[in-house]
Amino acid sequence: MSILLVGINHKSAPVELRELLAFSEEACTEGLRQLVDGDVVQEALIVSTCNRVEVLTSTVTTRAGEGKERVAQFLSQSRRLPLSSFHDHIYHWSDDDAVRHLFRVASSLDSMVVGEPQVLGQVRRAYALAREAGTAGKVLNRLVHHAFRVAKRVRSETGIASNAVSISYMAVELGKKIFNSLQGHTVLLIGAGEMAELSARHLLNAGVERVLIANRSEAAASELAHRLGHKAVSVRRIEEHMAEADIVICSTGADHYVVTENMAREALDKRRNRPSFFIDISVPRNVDPRIGELPNTFVFDVDDLESVITSNIREREREAERAELIVESEIMQFQRALRALDFGPGIGALRQKLQDIARLELTRQRSKLGPLTPEQEKAVEALLLTTVKKISHPVLHQMRRSSEMADADPIQAWLEAFGSDEPAEK
Amino acid sequence: MRSLLLAVLAAYVVAAIHAVLAFVNKRRSLQQVSFWALASGFLLHTIALLADWAIEGHYPLFALRETLSFLAWTLVGTYGLVLYRYRTQALGVLTLPLVAVLTFITIFIGASTNAATTVNEFSSTWLFPVHTTLVIFAYAAFFVVFVASLMYLFQERALKLKSFGAIFHRLPSLTKVNEIATSATAAGVTFLTVGIATGMLWASSRNGRIWHNDPKEIFAVLTWLLYVLLIIYRSTAGWRGRRAAWMGIAGFVLVLCTFLGARFMGGYHVFE
Repeated sequence: MSILLVGINHKSAPVELRELLAFSEEACTEGLRQLVDGDVVQEALIVSTCNRVEVLTSTVTTRAGEGKERVAQFLSQSRRLPLSSFHDHIYHWSDDDAVRHLFRVASSLDSMVVGEPQVLGQVRRAYALAREAGTAGKVLNRLVHHAFRVAKRVRSETGIASNAVSISYMAVELGKKIFNSLQGHTVLLIGAGEMAELSARHLLNAGVERVLIANRSEAAASELAHRLGHKAVSVRRIEEHMAEADIVICSTGADHYVVTENMAREALDKRRNRPSFFIDISVPRNVDPRIGELPNTFVFDVDDLESVITSNIREREREAERAELIVESEIMQFQRALRALDFGPGIGALRQKLQDIARLELTRQRSKLGPLTPEQEKAVEALLLTTVKKISHPVLHQMRRSSEMADADPIQAWLEAFGSDEPAEK
Repeated sequence: MRSLLLAVLAAYVVAAIHAVLAFVNKRRSLQQVSFWALASGFLLHTIALLADWAIEGHYPLFALRETLSFLAWTLVGTYGLVLYRYRTQALGVLTLPLVAVLTFITIFIGASTNAATTVNEFSSTWLFPVHTTLVIFAYAAFFVVFVASLMYLFQERALKLKSFGAIFHRLPSLTKVNEIATSATAAGVTFLTVGIATGMLWASSRNGRIWHNDPKEIFAVLTWLLYVLLIIYRSTAGWRGRRAAWMGIAGFVLVLCTFLGARFMGGYHVFE
């Protein structure tokens, strides 16, 4: 068999076209059944996300050349789009290149933001759908599981996903860097805007215990407090609450410093020098930058966060180069596993043949044994089959190992020795 | 004996190299190698120390060679404790190479030339070995304070300047290094206090004087004072962070002076 991947992604096609080609889950299941004809396409899987639509198939080797046209035709028919409208935007990869592409997608090396983990979940979902539709067979099973393994290796062995690349995650990441764990910590939101809410949600997910919300419009504050399930506080008493808060997120529309150096100094005294972390996402700034010079106090404004994010993205890209090496080495391993698949049927047939010989001999000699009880009958058969199994086990085991090592010669030699190309004696 | 120590050295070198590589490359498999190499090195080292004790007939902490070997062993043990308690390998990046170097010096410094009579005089009472052991333990604890303080300052600077490199991301959080430094300071001061006290007792039983004004004693007391102050500040004035870290580093400079004091400045603590 031969592996073929046809698809479009955010680099090859604009969003307008990707939308038209996208598959809903139902369409996906239905499409998979149409696509797999057993003639050219034997197995198939469709990954459809907002950034990509990819069709992964296993095709009959002798007709692999037709595969690409077949999949393109399928896309055109099932999405009711003329082929010419997207033909120039699709890419197609076969065999090792297809394997590489899938590994890179699953490891998030092909994503818009390298290292974002969602795509792995999407591949997982696509695989589940293909299994439901019954279009994932032995080749795709191996391939997709191998892709999951590669993704896991890439995540744990490179820093590709380790540094935050959005402001709200940045708050969590820096918070952890300062406080180790966010468990039991308190966040004070000054301003109840969208960014503040998003950051607060991330922080709550990361274990923050308490969120206090202060806003000039008290209605907005209590509304957000209600949504988050936490407490609104009066904006006039920010000073007091600053002493309780480990993390202060400021995002108001004010054109002056809402948090002044004196306020921070007093809070620091009351906190007995426990560290505090200010995130100022408002423009113009609401937190006096001089606060950053106080001991055990860290202030990040929008520009700081943006510049860290830029450098984190660069860092991810550097790590991505190491991830590519992992992908390359895994492609070689997968080739091996795939070759082992080729030998699988031969080894299975040999085992079957040996058992057939035993059964055949039993039928031949059965009449000489006289009447037997059903238990005795079973025992005689078990005796024969177990003996054959035990004698052949070391050989079959060795063959399977050679097949895993993709070492064809010994397998061939054993098959010939047993004359297994010839049918069992009648 | 020498071949046993060479095996120890080999294990420590492997552990050190893998610890550094694991830190740079973020590979769990390398950390595993480092850990098991270190564990086997530590086991062999323990055997070597015990064998030394049995063969030489005195507690293996007297000559410079023995002191360095014992110090290396203690550093490994301390690192193991920190690893167990705080789950952070970062400390190993500085500790393990130092351990390897100490072991290397131990091997090539050669056997001690002490006359058996001198040694016997010192090992005749339990006070002397207890004194030296505790002081070495204190040194190891202060080394941990030193490394934790360096990690603190490095990260604090990065956070203030808002520029983070790869190393920054692989160090434990500020709160964690602060905790490590705090508990290591407490342990170190406890060991040093009892260590100095037993030393004084031993000296008074030897010649009736507890204080000889020699450089090692003076530095030891200064070191002790500094760390006690650090503890007091931490608990009463909420001292932490940068100031505490700088003090942890200054303290270690005093520790080095204490350790080397006798060798370069002479005095009562020179026995060889």
